[in-house]
Amino acid sequence: MVEANIELMEDEPSFKEFAIEEFLVRSEPYYRAVGDELELFEAAYEQHIPVLLKGPTGCGKTRFVEYMAWKLGRPITTVRNQASQEMREGEVRVPLVTIACHEDLTASDLVGRYLLDANGTRWIDGPMTRAVKAGAILYLDEVVEARKDTTVLIHPLTDHRRILPVEKTGNIIEADDRFLLCISYNPHYQSALKDLKHSTRQRFISIEFDYPPVDVEAEIVAKESGCSDEDAHALSRLGEKIRNLREHGLAEGASTRLLIYAGRLMRQGIPARRACQVAIVWTLTDEQELQRSIEEVVYSIFE
Amino acid sequence: MTNTATGELLAELSKLPPAVTEAYEAVAEAMGDSFSDEELALWAREGVAIGTQTVRSWESAVEYYRVSPEVARSLAFASFMQWARCGTYLSQDSPTLAVAFFKASPTIVTNLRPQYIPRWAGLGRSLYKGTWKSSTLAARFFEVSPDLVRNLPFWDVEVFASLIEALSYKSYDVAAECLVLGRDVLPGMGREREAFLSMSRALTDTSWREVKACLEMAPRALQHVEEGQTGRFLRLGERLAKMGLRDTSRFLYDGAQALSHVSAGSQGHILDLCEGLLATTPDAVPPFLKSLDPVLNRITLPQLDQWYQQGVELLNENPESGIAFFKIESNTSEAMLETLSSSLDLERVKGIMRLYTRALSGANIEVMSTEELVRRQIGWVDQDTASTDGTKVYLPPMIDNYNDKSQNFAWFKVVATHQVSHLEFGSFEFEFDRPANVFDDRRIAMEESIQARMEAIRTAAVENLLVQDMNVSVGPEMGEGPGGTMRVYTDIGRFLALFEDRRMAFDLFSVLEDCRLDYRIKTDYPGIRRPALDVQGDALAQRPRVEELPLQEALIELLVHMSLDRFEGLLVPQEYREEAYMLARIMHRLRTIRASIEDTAEASLRAYEIISRLQNQQQPEDEYQPEDLDDPGEFSEEEYEALLDKLQAQMDEQQGEQGEGDPYESPEPVEYRGDFKPEMVQLLTKLQMDQSQMGDAEPMTQEELEQLLQDSAELELDAQEGDVDQSMAMFAQNIMKEAGVPPPSNDPGRGYGPILHDDDAGGELEALEPKTYVYDEWDFRANDYKPRWCIVKEKILDEGDVNFYNDSLRNYSSLLAHIKRQFELIMPETWRKTYRLIDGEDIDLNSALEAWADLRMNVPPDEKIYWRRNRVERDVAVVFLLDMSASTAEAIDEGRHSVDDRDAPDDPVEYMVWLRRRREGLVRRHYKRIIDLERESCALLINALESIGDTYGIYGFSGYGRENVEFYVIKDIEEQFNDKIKRRIDKVTPLHATRMGSAIRHAITKLENQDAATKIMFLISDGRPQDRGYSREGVEKEYAVHDTHQALVEAKRKEITPFCLTVDKAGHDYLKTMCGDLNYEVLDDIWALPERLPMLYRSLTMVR
Repeated sequence: MVEANIELMEDEPSFKEFAIEEFLVRSEPYYRAVGDELELFEAAYEQHIPVLLKGPTGCGKTRFVEYMAWKLGRPITTVRNQASQEMREGEVRVPLVTIACHEDLTASDLVGRYLLDANGTRWIDGPMTRAVKAGAILYLDEVVEARKDTTVLIHPLTDHRRILPVEKTGNIIEADDRFLLCISYNPHYQSALKDLKHSTRQRFISIEFDYPPVDVEAEIVAKESGCSDEDAHALSRLGEKIRNLREHGLAEGASTRLLIYAGRLMRQGIPARRACQVAIVWTLTDEQELQRSIEEVVYSIFE
Repeated sequence: MTNTATGELLAELSKLPPAVTEAYEAVAEAMGDSFSDEELALWAREGVAIGTQTVRSWESAVEYYRVSPEVARSLAFASFMQWARCGTYLSQDSPTLAVAFFKASPTIVTNLRPQYIPRWAGLGRSLYKGTWKSSTLAARFFEVSPDLVRNLPFWDVEVFASLIEALSYKSYDVAAECLVLGRDVLPGMGREREAFLSMSRALTDTSWREVKACLEMAPRALQHVEEGQTGRFLRLGERLAKMGLRDTSRFLYDGAQALSHVSAGSQGHILDLCEGLLATTPDAVPPFLKSLDPVLNRITLPQLDQWYQQGVELLNENPESGIAFFKIESNTSEAMLETLSSSLDLERVKGIMRLYTRALSGANIEVMSTEELVRRQIGWVDQDTASTDGTKVYLPPMIDNYNDKSQNFAWFKVVATHQVSHLEFGSFEFEFDRPANVFDDRRIAMEESIQARMEAIRTAAVENLLVQDMNVSVGPEMGEGPGGTMRVYTDIGRFLALFEDRRMAFDLFSVLEDCRLDYRIKTDYPGIRRPALDVQGDALAQRPRVEELPLQEALIELLVHMSLDRFEGLLVPQEYREEAYMLARIMHRLRTIRASIEDTAEASLRAYEIISRLQNQQQPEDEYQPEDLDDPGEFSEEEYEALLDKLQAQMDEQQGEQGEGDPYESPEPVEYRGDFKPEMVQLLTKLQMDQSQMGDAEPMTQEELEQLLQDSAELELDAQEGDVDQSMAMFAQNIMKEAGVPPPSNDPGRGYGPILHDDDAGGELEALEPKTYVYDEWDFRANDYKPRWCIVKEKILDEGDVNFYNDSLRNYSSLLAHIKRQFELIMPETWRKTYRLIDGEDIDLNSALEAWADLRMNVPPDEKIYWRRNRVERDVAVVFLLDMSASTAEAIDEGRHSVDDRDAPDDPVEYMVWLRRRREGLVRRHYKRIIDLERESCALLINALESIGDTYGIYGFSGYGRENVEFYVIKDIEEQFNDKIKRRIDKVTPLHATRMGSAIRHAITKLENQDAATKIMFLISDGRPQDRGYSREGVEKEYAVHDTHQALVEAKRKEITPFCLTVDKAGHDYLKTMCGDLNYEVLDDIWALPERLPMLYRSLTMVR
């Protein structure tokens, strides 16, 4: 484990650095279950079934995976600012490796590559290899964005074989028992061209996420942003109204994350209307008329 | 020429200065080529004649000989002699003139038809008045003639010359200056020249000095004016000049400035207004035009009409103040502008309102003007009152309640919010059997008791019938349908049927429901609280005084007041204090978020029971005392029942004692709450539902519907007396149409609603022939597709001459090379490996070795040792749609080249042939049409596309009517490029109309079958979409534009990127609607099309 030597001194920048496969979710992340997703994920994990998370942006997919990593790992004690992550007795480690996929992400980015160093070339495991070896939950965010050749890797990992062929070194790695592949996918803004292939899709169970119902969302916003319940409720209603526009010019509705941002700004004393404007309206669209319309909704809900 | 003759001639020439002989000898030989001997003799003699006219005319003779060979090349001998003789006459008057004449001749004769030459000479002559100055002017005229004749039709030259002559009477200097100015300015004027000249002619009589200023001003000023309107504008100037307007140049300048600020399509309208003024008070025209710009900065064009109208009225009363009005130097004018500029048109905020209402309700709501609702004639009659029919929100077309735009907008918003709240909080979802939340349910018991009572009445009636006459009618006032069973279609209708006075019940229901909604709005939308309070405050100020109303109405008015959030200091009749408090309690109970529409029903039931038991009599004013009803206590069912019993007892007591009191009248409507018609909405929804699940239940017949409408309390409210019966049938029919029920076919007596458009007749079409396709069309008014509405006929374009294609490439060879280079640049980008990257697909051996070597040398190596292929492979399919409508035949910039007689042959025989050919249209045009540029661009594009290997198709479209949308294949998308296609391009010609939507849909189908990563549809047009019947109710433009927009949206949905390119300079206004947030471009300079099109395409398909 690589770790920055941190002396908690004042004015000293403080950060923690982990090797990618050693990152454990130590403290319980806040996650408010809406349906039976917790049970489903746990069952899939036990049964080594890969999981596909579907849902619009900012509705809590990543948070969910984080939460599950914590829950499945379940460290015995949780200590804040605990610099070392030593194994405690009876602790199960489920590291979480998250990779945000982008269009230039190639298979070798995931598996690993030869690097040059002072004495010659050296093989470096990519994050996927490390996750497979370490028995982590590997979370590929927005998987359709990645290049097509990544499917070559996903397929053998996701069926009964659970192997990762490393072409360049000529090895095959059998995944650790705790390893699970989890991918996310946002059906809304994917063009047909970038859709997931069925041969890929059908290796996963799919859990659908959507924005939570108003009351639940209000609870989440309140909890996450720390703003008043009343504001949180208004924000979640605003979210609901804006999502009504999804088919009428808005590509995506206001995400729970944005609502939380607005709530946080409000908590810091920014006036509600202004907070919504910068956190929600201007973020969602550049189109004048649409902005104006959403602003009118904001003005109706907030004084 | 014989020697003797030559000898004689030389002898005569020798009498003149030797220069003449020299000139003769210099050309004599050359002339022999053109003329026979005989003719030569005549030619030479004429020179002598010229030379001998006056003392100094030998100079003319020299010039005559000098230019002869050149002139002879263009003129046949007869014409030549005619020309020479003209010179002779001129020489007689003034040798200077003749010299100028001869000097100009060589160029003139190539451009002017021979028969005009004497007239031309005459023009010059007419300027000569025997003075030195006039001869200079005339000579100057000949000097500029070549340019004039080359660039203007001859009659314009004549008019211009007469203008100069007229000016010369005033001042030779000015005339000379204008002559030169005219030479420079007139050719650029195009078809407006005639109007300009005649305006200038008018000026010479009144203020001749203006002519020069106008000439100077014209080119700059006129470029602001729309092409078609320039002539009118100038004629306006002419008429003003004739009426004695002094500074016409100023008018020209101001007017053009003003017009330039008006969007192109509307300039004609402004000129209409000017002409209107001209007819009455010409003096008002210049100030009007001058004020136009500042005025239009403040108000819109439709508002301008109102302002103008006011001004005209003032003019009629008092011209002085009218003119001051147009100068905006009067208070009336200023105030009017103030009001107009603060008013708010629905059109301007419609988009925002639509999205706003959609966001709030979560339903696909349309926002429309109330005018539209009234036009549909389905029971709404009030133009100014907002309403909703469940799927659309209707708002008044214009608001000018406040002197401030933002306040007017806030009003709109409050009104819209109130209407949407009907949907959001379920006003129309009333179900008779669903329990209320905050009240006990009494409806059902009440219905049962009424039915029992009716049963009793009926039994009694039947018994009576048996005993008495057969003619006694059975209580229709109970809402009984035929056959004795009540057929109640809607839940609201069923509820209202419980009451004897349905109107009062419905009034109570409306007031209480509005109260519930306003309360909900205030709790759910705190942000709107303040504007809502303002609006409520204004509404309160307009309420009638409670104490002046009879008792029942007073109590209802009290409820209205409370529903408007006014609880303090209400005037309550002391004798009925208990009742008022009970009503207040009922109302307060509704003010909770738990209350539902069923609670409103229960509340109105209770309120009705109380109020209907009172007599509608005026109470003495001193009876009324102010009370605060903000906390009247909790409502309790027991107290309510006790009160009811008491009232019932009183009523029984009073029976027969007194008169009935005043007839009940509904309260004044609260403006911002609009029209609330739950029954109609439920009816429409239900009809639509019945319609969609046909066969399930027996659909309602028109008779039943009419009966139902007659019973409806809502209609009673609006329709005027006597009107009801007549309009009922129409209403019923319109409603059924609205709901999609086909009107009864065998019912000629009744007459249908207004026939909308002949093209609406007929219905769906079917494609029977091969290569024809049927498409839906979008009707933006119905907000729905008209199914199978258009037939697209696909035809392969005829083949023409291959030369057009080749010529185009040749003519644009330099541009072509440029385009090709640009396009070729796209290719390598997609395939080339990129080296020396920090990260990539694999290690680049070269760089790696270098790095390795560096390492060995203990030098830090370059870490950029990877290569990567470029990320996107080019995979593009594109369809080009060319507008082949008739309007593309329009010539571009005709003024640039005059097309008249310049290439007419001189020989009469040839001329006749030329004329005939010209009539037949076979002569090659010297001007270009829009379509020519489209074709040329097309050729260039094909060439470029072939070089990069994109899949492409090129199609033209036109057509007439919905059953004939022609879709011409120039190159089918799957076709390989070949000579046939080159030939087809030649045959691209202007045809008929433009029904863009269907053409786009067909192009979509073409593209859909393509398997390409990027699909693009490129639409090139010259203007709005239009076609016969591509219109409805005179909103032709709107309909076509919306359909096209919808087609483009469909393309977008199918992953096709549409792009519109138009060469219509006025394109911005409708393209915004047509393309929405899709891409478009308006090409300002049509000549740039061949260059712009490939470039646009390139940037559009560049790696994203």
